[in-house]
Amino acid sequence: MSKDVTLTIDGVKVTVPAGTLVVDAAKKAGIDIPIFCYHPKMEPAGMCRQCLVEIGRPAFDRATGEPVMENGKPKINWGWKLETSCTNPVSEGMEVKTKSEKALQGQNDMLEFQLTSHPLDCPVCDKGGECLLQDQTLAHGPGESRYRFDEKRHAEKHVPLGDKIWLDRERCIECGRCVRFQSELVGEAVLGFYNRGAHTEIITTSDPGFDSIFSGNTTDICPVGALTTTQFRFGARPWEMKSEASICAECPVGCNTMLNTRREAKSGGRIVVKRVMPRQNEAVNENWICDKGRFADLNVDNRLKMPNPAVWTEAIGAAAEKLNAAKAEAVYLVDGSLSNEELFNIKALADAVGAKAYCYSNVGGGALTTKSGSYGKSGAGDAILVVGTDLYTEAPLFWLRAKQAADRGATLIVATESETRLDAFATAVYRNVDEGLAAAKEAFGAAKNTVALYRGDDALAQACADLNPTSLVGVWEAANTQGAWEMGYEALADFSVLNGKTVYVAGGEALVAGAVDAAAVVIAQTAYETEATGKASVALASRVVAEMDGTFTSAERRAQRFFAAVPAIGEALPGYVITAQIAEKMGVSLNIDAEALFAAFSAMSYDDLATVNIEERLMIAGTCSANDQGVGALLPAKA
Amino acid sequence: MMKYMLLRHREIPNLNQIDVFLKEDGFEGFKKALKMDTNAVTDEVKAAGLRGRGGAGFPTGVKWSFMDKNNWPHYVVANADESEPGTFKDREIMESNPFQFLEGVAIASYAVGANVAYIYLRGEFWEVAHFLDEKIDEMEKAGFLGENIQGTDYSLKIYTHLGAGAYICGEETALLESIEGKRGQPRVRPPFPPSQGLYNKPTVVNNVETLSSVPYIIANGADRYREFGGTEKSPGTKIFSLSGRVKNPGNYELPLGSTFRELIFGEEYGGGIIDDKKIKAIMPAGASSSLIVADDKALDTPLTYEDVREVGGDLGSASVIVIDETVEMDWLITKTLSFFAHESCGKCTPCREGTYWMKAISERIHAGEATKADLELLHDVAKQVQGKTLCALGEFSTMAVVTSIERFPEDFEAKVYE
Amino acid sequence: MLAELLRGLKTTFKMMLDKPVTIQYPEVKREVRPRYKGHHELKRYENGLEKCIGCALCAAACPSDAIFVEASENTDEERYSPGDRYASTYEINYLRCIYCGYCEDACPTQAIVMGKEYEVTFESRFDAIADKAVLLKNSTEGVTPQKTEPGVYTRSIPKMENPKGY
Repeated sequence: MSKDVTLTIDGVKVTVPAGTLVVDAAKKAGIDIPIFCYHPKMEPAGMCRQCLVEIGRPAFDRATGEPVMENGKPKINWGWKLETSCTNPVSEGMEVKTKSEKALQGQNDMLEFQLTSHPLDCPVCDKGGECLLQDQTLAHGPGESRYRFDEKRHAEKHVPLGDKIWLDRERCIECGRCVRFQSELVGEAVLGFYNRGAHTEIITTSDPGFDSIFSGNTTDICPVGALTTTQFRFGARPWEMKSEASICAECPVGCNTMLNTRREAKSGGRIVVKRVMPRQNEAVNENWICDKGRFADLNVDNRLKMPNPAVWTEAIGAAAEKLNAAKAEAVYLVDGSLSNEELFNIKALADAVGAKAYCYSNVGGGALTTKSGSYGKSGAGDAILVVGTDLYTEAPLFWLRAKQAADRGATLIVATESETRLDAFATAVYRNVDEGLAAAKEAFGAAKNTVALYRGDDALAQACADLNPTSLVGVWEAANTQGAWEMGYEALADFSVLNGKTVYVAGGEALVAGAVDAAAVVIAQTAYETEATGKASVALASRVVAEMDGTFTSAERRAQRFFAAVPAIGEALPGYVITAQIAEKMGVSLNIDAEALFAAFSAMSYDDLATVNIEERLMIAGTCSANDQGVGALLPAKA
Repeated sequence: MMKYMLLRHREIPNLNQIDVFLKEDGFEGFKKALKMDTNAVTDEVKAAGLRGRGGAGFPTGVKWSFMDKNNWPHYVVANADESEPGTFKDREIMESNPFQFLEGVAIASYAVGANVAYIYLRGEFWEVAHFLDEKIDEMEKAGFLGENIQGTDYSLKIYTHLGAGAYICGEETALLESIEGKRGQPRVRPPFPPSQGLYNKPTVVNNVETLSSVPYIIANGADRYREFGGTEKSPGTKIFSLSGRVKNPGNYELPLGSTFRELIFGEEYGGGIIDDKKIKAIMPAGASSSLIVADDKALDTPLTYEDVREVGGDLGSASVIVIDETVEMDWLITKTLSFFAHESCGKCTPCREGTYWMKAISERIHAGEATKADLELLHDVAKQVQGKTLCALGEFSTMAVVTSIERFPEDFEAKVYE
Repeated sequence: MLAELLRGLKTTFKMMLDKPVTIQYPEVKREVRPRYKGHHELKRYENGLEKCIGCALCAAACPSDAIFVEASENTDEERYSPGDRYASTYEINYLRCIYCGYCEDACPTQAIVMGKEYEVTFESRFDAIADKAVLLKNSTEGVTPQKTEPGVYTRSIPKMENPKGY
């Protein structure tokens, strides 16, 4: 445990662990020192000089080592010049003045310098309304410009860095956050500085440009509108959008997101999701989301808007009739794209009629992933095994956390047949899976907190389970496959099991297509309209994540809530309501309240998922949302 | 007594040939040091009071003693970047008296326990670097580098490393970044190089001239060094790179404590102003200087680190640029600001934006398109940059501007209109 | 007694014979003052390009949330305004508008101005929403989209002037 240090900032006494930076100590005391280049998750750079403050340290007699006293208090030696609070760690008895005349003058001066080469782009810049430079200018900017317009520097304004991010070189204030994020946090130094002095500019050093699946995060941490996304270009102003908390549905990590929505003219006046932003959850995704989740198209055109038959009562009736006819011979098939509540009701119906309930998954081992874990804080003394999966494409935030754990000293073993982007950060790399498992056995024996992440068949899952890790994580193909396993669904990878059966299938396009090809009678509960839904006997229009309340269980067995952000399209209903209505017609009584369903599944309430951590907000710098809705909760370990 | 301690090649021809150097008591200092305890070597340099000749004037022995003895390995880096406008002393040492310099590097390395030393040369010195490589080879063949030097268990290898044309790489932490292969931008200090330097290991970075002064100190003792010349606080001799409006520009080695008048007007030295014009100002530290008004008081000021401060300047690297009545200050600052704006590394905001802004204003003033308010603005901006930069480049870029406006206001007032 | 009566009615008779100040609207329409805040107009530049760059500052300034703006990107093939950004959707809801003129104050390009038209009626709530076509029609002549030379209309905001006094 580190010692605690007490110092005085603007007359306020604050006690923090030794090694804390002055700027962080001030944040804890509720004092905001203006910053640009500083980011709590990166090494301090001291580049922008915006956080200048007056720092005084107690004087000590050189000979005796005793503090020098003056008027009964320790004498304070004030530095002859202002110092940056982001590069100075606290020391005992330090005094800091952040708003004295000298300090304010220094902060104002630095801001004036920033503005001299910043273009007057606010009306056309996407960052307007959530721009740190705008906010600082209100607080510290000069009322009138002393700079001549014709001496202003000009630079390229519309530079593509890859196909997802635009760079505006004129707006860049050269704070280096993007470069440092990529090289320090992600370990893929695909951005860099070029030239020097007033002509410094950001370039991408990779081909294709900005080749990183975390590129979108730089648009969150960029304090100005220099880095913007092509997807959201000119989408809307931040104050025009509403926000709703959600969970990303692209992979089983379960990153916490915030959906920004607005009514849109080009969608015929519907309220749509304009963009996906990260929401802080230090245990899952910290402040980041990957590009798969950020740029996922949540407003697709091919939505199933009406059931088939077109009236709900008829559709429900038809479905119930067919399922009643099949009784226990019916097959209930889902995939991991459904929420816990939807899965629960389908399983309950299947159990009630004695029929089989399957979850489609090419990844085995569902019965073995029973221990919850979170290896986000792993470091020296811990071990991580990654086998059979290219985390970078399959679960990017798991990749990032494994890489950062390795940076902190954890033993990282990668055992995959082909090269992965994690190889460069691993302690040991094996192209032969068995050798990797053997090495992991040794490493796990010596480590405290261990986690094995795998993607493979049951045999591989068993081999990993045999290593007895603190947590076994299956890198599923969908967001909520873990939820299905928790409820007792059986795994299914081969559609031929459905031959000749009546199937109640609920899930995504590929699942419905597979079922329609193989089964005799298909009742398809899905959100998407495809050729397959046309062929199904009954098509039941369900809602997507953005349109309903519900929960997902991540691969680490963390249950997290998402909230309805946009109104349902057409007459789509939440899946669990559809199932309950069908069940009613079959004489089975099921709940339609999402909260009650969650409680039945997990023995927890939505309140349990709503704990927030106020302290962690100090780790955000940029447009990542603070988490007011809750960080979710780990499911208890299965007996 | 020898006239020269550093520019000995002016008395001894072909001193850059190893056989000549060896005949002239070459490597005596190094041989003596190898028999001493490493702390004793540092103490001797401390007692001699040798101060860094690169511009900061920090006591060399004290810097060596700051090396963190719990963190190994140690490195010595010789700063041969020499990019300060008006400085050309190190080049002469490296071209004409290289072995004394290399001996200094060797003694310093021995004193701090380094087995690898680097010489960082500015990119434009590629001929000098190749030349030094040959000399290092000769030194090794003569038995003063490599494994088990002179039968002791001390080993040392010296490597040269070229920069690529950046003045900022003369700043010690930017220099270390450049050697490490990264962008040559200064680091946040603290920590300083003696605790975390090259590859985060303790490193001593010394100027070429400083290291070239070390062999004499060890060979003859601290007292003899002090007797050679200089004052109590600024002992020893220094090479003054004299340039500007003098009849005989060039490198001159004088004891510290000689006066400006001797240097600029002395027959053997500057020889006075070209066309016998009236002297106006002196820039004692190259383009990074404050401008000293060249009145009698200034001319009679002894050239020491402490005395030059009395007349509002800094001795710095002693690259004395002489300004006479034909030079107008508004023209002068466009030159210095143009240099600093070009060389600013761009890492910190005040230097990156401030030098660019000051350059633009100064050019307008020089072109006669500025008002009095612009002049005040230039002074304001310069003051705004001072004290807030990450390294000294930004700080120094303002010295000439502020002092010229304050001390030579007539030159500017003539150019501005209401 | 008649004298008092006549004296009392002096003002009345005087006024009867005076020229009336009543303006016979709608046959006669008085000119509005120069700063009259009437129906909005979206202005164009002389070359026909729209001044509006879709920044939505007018929408932000509007105290009754009457303005809806959606922005899109200009290309040189299909250019609506100078620079990168133009308003692809621009609607003012006249049931909400209080004719305060804050939108005109907020606009950085002087694109949205309040004109002189005050004869605004509509017969349904839907007709109260004036879209971009209507607002542009009220304004100067011009045609967009236009096809322009690349590299000419690169800046959204017209050239600024240097600060005075320096």
